[in-house]
Amino acid sequence: MEGKKTNKLEEKILYLSPSPHVKSGESVPRIMWTVVITLMPATIMGVYFFGIRALWVILVSIATAVITEASIQLMRRKKITVYNGSAVITGLLLALCLPPSIPYYAVIIGTFFGIAVGKHAFGGLGYNIFNPALIGRAFLQASFPVKMTTWTPTLLQQKCVDAVTTATPLGLFKFEKVTTPYVDLLWGNVGGCIGETCAIAIIAGGIILLVLRYADWRIPLSYLGTVAILGGIFWLINPEQYPDPLFHLLAGGLMLGAFFMATDMVTSPSTPLGSWIFGIGAGTLLIIIRLFGGLPEGVMYSIILMNSVTPLINMFTRPKILGEKK
Amino acid sequence: MSNTARMIIVLTIAAILSGAILSVYNFYTYPKIQAHRQTELEKAIFEVIPDAEEYKKLELGEKVYYVGCTKKEKELGVAFLAEGNGFQGKISILVGMNMDMDTILAIKILEQVETPGLGTKIVDDPSNPEDRKWFTNQFKGLRALPEITYVKNEKPSKPGQIQAITGATISSRSVVEILNNAIKENREIFLKR
Amino acid sequence: MSSFKTSLAHEFTKGLWKENPVLRMLLGLCPTLAVTNSAVNGLSMGLAVIFTLTCSSTLISLIRNIVPKQVRIPTFIIVIATFVTVADRTLAAFFPTISKALGPYVPLIVVNCIILGRQEAFASKNPVHRAIIDALGMSIGFTLTLTILGMFRELLGAGSIFNLPIMPESFDTWLVMILPPGAFLALGLMIGIANWINSKLGIKS
Repeated sequence: MEGKKTNKLEEKILYLSPSPHVKSGESVPRIMWTVVITLMPATIMGVYFFGIRALWVILVSIATAVITEASIQLMRRKKITVYNGSAVITGLLLALCLPPSIPYYAVIIGTFFGIAVGKHAFGGLGYNIFNPALIGRAFLQASFPVKMTTWTPTLLQQKCVDAVTTATPLGLFKFEKVTTPYVDLLWGNVGGCIGETCAIAIIAGGIILLVLRYADWRIPLSYLGTVAILGGIFWLINPEQYPDPLFHLLAGGLMLGAFFMATDMVTSPSTPLGSWIFGIGAGTLLIIIRLFGGLPEGVMYSIILMNSVTPLINMFTRPKILGEKK
Repeated sequence: MSNTARMIIVLTIAAILSGAILSVYNFYTYPKIQAHRQTELEKAIFEVIPDAEEYKKLELGEKVYYVGCTKKEKELGVAFLAEGNGFQGKISILVGMNMDMDTILAIKILEQVETPGLGTKIVDDPSNPEDRKWFTNQFKGLRALPEITYVKNEKPSKPGQIQAITGATISSRSVVEILNNAIKENREIFLKR
Repeated sequence: MSSFKTSLAHEFTKGLWKENPVLRMLLGLCPTLAVTNSAVNGLSMGLAVIFTLTCSSTLISLIRNIVPKQVRIPTFIIVIATFVTVADRTLAAFFPTISKALGPYVPLIVVNCIILGRQEAFASKNPVHRAIIDALGMSIGFTLTLTILGMFRELLGAGSIFNLPIMPESFDTWLVMILPPGAFLALGLMIGIANWINSKLGIKS
């Protein structure tokens, strides 16, 4: 079943759920380019806050993704499908979750790794187990941990204070118990990755995606809901030690991850129940990493870990065939 | 000869021969291996009690202390082992302190399994070629009471304060915590001797 | 005579490539993954295996007709364990730094499948000169693979090869390569390349 589904993907017809299948007119390029457009608000805000260098990081990443995908398909004598936008999304998403000061060579290495190892080593679009953008980011995090956790202040912040580096809201809370005002978190005037700081822009794009049904609403809802509920429980236990649920939702890369990464069609479950399980699992992992782990942020690892159990979730939540007995 | 008897004989001979070879070889190498360990320990003790020329071993309950002294038996300081968890495994540190146990003379990290290139900077920092051991050197002459604290990204300003390594805050913090705990525990035992 | 010589040459070279224990038979992966974070460590582990495997194969081949079939495995293990312990003590006594770097992986050579595998598959069935040649080929193949893997990981992960700085000052080391995930990535890449070369040469696995 799995094989059939993924073969169809190459023919640009998407089947999101196990049989029985209903054919729809949606095509891979249309979905992918819509996702790119819905990412634009976050991209624009990122460039607004972090300047022209952020734009260069994004362009370098997209270019590397497209060139890598095309050359691998050329090498493997497969049809070149870069026009379908999937490589562009990977490049864009990866750039949006990188710090603005990241060196260009690291961007190239990360994007190449994400596309070559995260996607094509598994067989290309539809066969990959993990979200390629997150694989690229994980590789960079493991390779250049200092560069991946050096944050520059936004252009607006630079006007007020003269500082070269800053900390993310999550880092500030975890290590120094300093809270960041919600207005700054919503608007995005905080240190962080290029595309993760402005919550409003991400939510706006994400909602369009959900309304068009290009992403399963259950995943962001259950992911964010679990984080809010679990975060809230810990906050009620000890408000000094643990941040409040709203802070959990708005700070860091959770919004970007919940709307655009966890919902990746290839690497998330294809059944409604599976989507709930996926979101609840990712949310639980995120809270565990944020509150009890060594790192301040855990969106990337929570999604990658849930990606790895997606085939299992699909297997257990497959709807019964009519008349089948247990 | 029955097969069973042959099996027993062959295995017995093999085991006896193996045992014989190994005990002879161990007899030959054991002193050398012990000597390595001894020199390593001695080197560490003299490193953490810098002016010591000799040392005495002192056992109080389960704890072992090495009191460093000059040739005229003037006691200069005491060294003991401090152990605890680092970022991903055990860190063990030999701590040298003055006889009142309020000031650190020097520390030496004996074992650690921190992340190579990051946490390992607590032992050796290649990014600072002038003083690759700057992190442990900060503890020389550091006031350990009431407790050691650390700061990030700035020069230490108060007594008893050290600077954490950028990008390896957790390893730095672990070292400070291990030292604070061990000093508190050993002070009670050692000063009551 | 010539066929005798070629077959001896074959016994030696098969371990280097065609039946390379790591790349082709996927044996002994635990030390391969664990100690190759630098070229020196990979090479030292390889040398320890050359010593153990050659000595064990020689002895096993010599006593192959004396040992009853039913107790051959325990006998092999006693022989291997003896040589491994000798290697481990030697390293600890004369090369303490290497011994520290390799840690528990030297004693663990006892359970390295390459060693027991060669005794069972070859040394216990062949005359001593062939057993030695086979053991040398296999262990040198193992050593070469580990050294190359160690060189590759050290180059990217630390910017040096055999502790000699290779990369320019400005090179930012890929920390992941000297961490455990880097071992899996590099080994996977190496096996992939080996398979690709073999498919070009028309060698079937």
